[in-house]
Amino acid sequence: MSISAATKAATDALAANRAPVSVNAQEVHRWLQSFTWDFEKNRTKYPTKYKMANETKEQFKLIAKEYARMESVKDERQFGSLQDVLTRVDAGNRVHPKWNETMKVVSNFLEVGEYNAIAATGMLWDSASAPEQKNGYLAQVLDEIRHTNQCGYVNYYFTKHGQDPAGHNDARRTRTIGPLWKGMKRVFSDGFISGDAVECSINLQLVGEACFTNPLIVAVTEWAAANGDEITPTVFLSIETDELRHMANGYQTVVSIANDEAASKYLNTDLNNAFWTQQKYFTPVLGMAFEYGSHFKVEPWVKTWNRWVYEDWGGIWIGRLGKYGVESPRSLRDAKKDAYWAHHDLFLIAYALWPTGFFRLTLPTAQEAEWFEANYPGWYDHYGKIYDEWRARGCEDPASGFLPLQWFMENNHQIYIDRVSQVPFCPTLSKGASTLRVHEWNGKKHSFSDEWGERQWLTEPERYECQNIWEQYEGRELSEVIAELHGVRSDGKTLIAQPHTNKDGKLWTLDDLKRIDCVFKDPLKAL
Amino acid sequence: MSLNSNAYGAGIMAKTGKAFADEYFSEENQIVHESNEVVLVLKKSDEINIIVDEILLGDRKADNPTLVVEDRAGYWWLKATGKIEVDCEEASEILGRKFSVYDFLVDVSSTIGRAFTLGEKFTITSELMGLDRQLEDLKS
Repeated sequence: MSISAATKAATDALAANRAPVSVNAQEVHRWLQSFTWDFEKNRTKYPTKYKMANETKEQFKLIAKEYARMESVKDERQFGSLQDVLTRVDAGNRVHPKWNETMKVVSNFLEVGEYNAIAATGMLWDSASAPEQKNGYLAQVLDEIRHTNQCGYVNYYFTKHGQDPAGHNDARRTRTIGPLWKGMKRVFSDGFISGDAVECSINLQLVGEACFTNPLIVAVTEWAAANGDEITPTVFLSIETDELRHMANGYQTVVSIANDEAASKYLNTDLNNAFWTQQKYFTPVLGMAFEYGSHFKVEPWVKTWNRWVYEDWGGIWIGRLGKYGVESPRSLRDAKKDAYWAHHDLFLIAYALWPTGFFRLTLPTAQEAEWFEANYPGWYDHYGKIYDEWRARGCEDPASGFLPLQWFMENNHQIYIDRVSQVPFCPTLSKGASTLRVHEWNGKKHSFSDEWGERQWLTEPERYECQNIWEQYEGRELSEVIAELHGVRSDGKTLIAQPHTNKDGKLWTLDDLKRIDCVFKDPLKAL
Repeated sequence: MSLNSNAYGAGIMAKTGKAFADEYFSEENQIVHESNEVVLVLKKSDEINIIVDEILLGDRKADNPTLVVEDRAGYWWLKATGKIEVDCEEASEILGRKFSVYDFLVDVSSTIGRAFTLGEKFTITSELMGLDRQLEDLKS
């Protein structure tokens, strides 16, 4: 049978010029640019006040084939380690009990951030017009799906192979009881996916990822290892191998708007709002998790913060952008004060509200109190004495009938919730940058802890209508709320949360709480 | 003994207690200061340990005297002034097998600075890529 003229021509051409059997990945990546359209108007569902440039680059020159190969190697290494050597050496039971509790919060809350980042980067993919920028965002969508699974897997692994699984195994339904949850939703959800698309990128990538993932996902692995946990470094350092591309996406988003007139008007305000939003939660919560949730200390949290946030993110990312008009965040002074004191302020409140958690907390020991005083001069006189008093009143023992929350009430130390960040604060005890401000709007009182959140609220108060813990449970008795929200272990009566990790200590039950008759009361109503 | 200024515990980090607080809260430290340094976090692995030992702290050490490498449990923490480069063709020779820049990225955990790839080379620089200098494409 004769072949057609066209087939013959093609065969002859190939005989003279052999088709390449492979193409360099970066040559393939170069072809992406031919997908550029010069949109007269970007038809995105997620608009931005900035105009993103069309020629923005993607720094790592990813193509799908190399991306998939890289990620499969990462997963093989991570799951190989977890399911082989770490299980064989009983890694879950080598973790210090205090740190085991810390990972209930850290991994579960990070899972929420990763989940919301899927939506955030999908939105940015739609908003951008440069094909390389879209390519970078698209890979990030896939990364965030991977990370969501990884974080869930850490809690699953601790549940299956570790100690005290309550909290690791059912955090998705019990995490909403206490006040830490809503603050986390503000930074990890609302901050990433609500409002202007570029503003979301600044929150997620330029601040959340380029700044706070370093302490949250990198430095945490050193604290984990020091406390016998090799599970977290195995997973979190693997997560972070994707984050560098996300930081680059955030930086390239700024590059893409650098020459837009809107940047000179809005970028510094958006950066300051994002920095304050993210630091307001991460600074105290991470500091509390590291210092109060560990037995073996790596270094004072304020030093970790100073290195990763102030010197490196501030100097290397923001400082270098100074010649393009990017200013030092105006809220930095208050953020630095928070980095020194706010985690101590928060632990005082977190311990007072311990029954609302899905983890066990521990009061600082005498040895830890010495460490705190050496690193934060003045710590003992302000905080340490209070812990001594609580311990003397038997706060760890259910027979004492004493909840530290009662101490706050007896001493007229009101705990308010900042409307914007949802972070609790006690103005009469705070050494961080929190002071009480109150506004009345829409027939309701709203408390604020700082001028930076207050400014954001004044701009768009309807954005921050989320009920806080006091409004939600007003007039209800504590044990009733905890029972309703499943904050109990498998016997149906012992609390998941406990005020100690002592294996010989007695465990609190719903009945122990009921006897105290603690009723939620909104302090704003008394003002 | 004085520490290299890029060391993990250099400068204010060497201070403790009140001395640390005094410098931390000093007026000049209430705004960010531009830094010409870069930081790289490499997850420890068979290949990365060899690249750190035999290239960055071995054959190429003289190229970058400001480079500091510190062991932080699960990862290597690297800091240098200006830039850090890793040529994966050199890594391939030492490892005795093909090791592309994408293989290297498998274990690069964090970057503070502008990191990018070109061919088989990985670079992290304090330069503002895309603003001060354009990112290049691979030439055929």
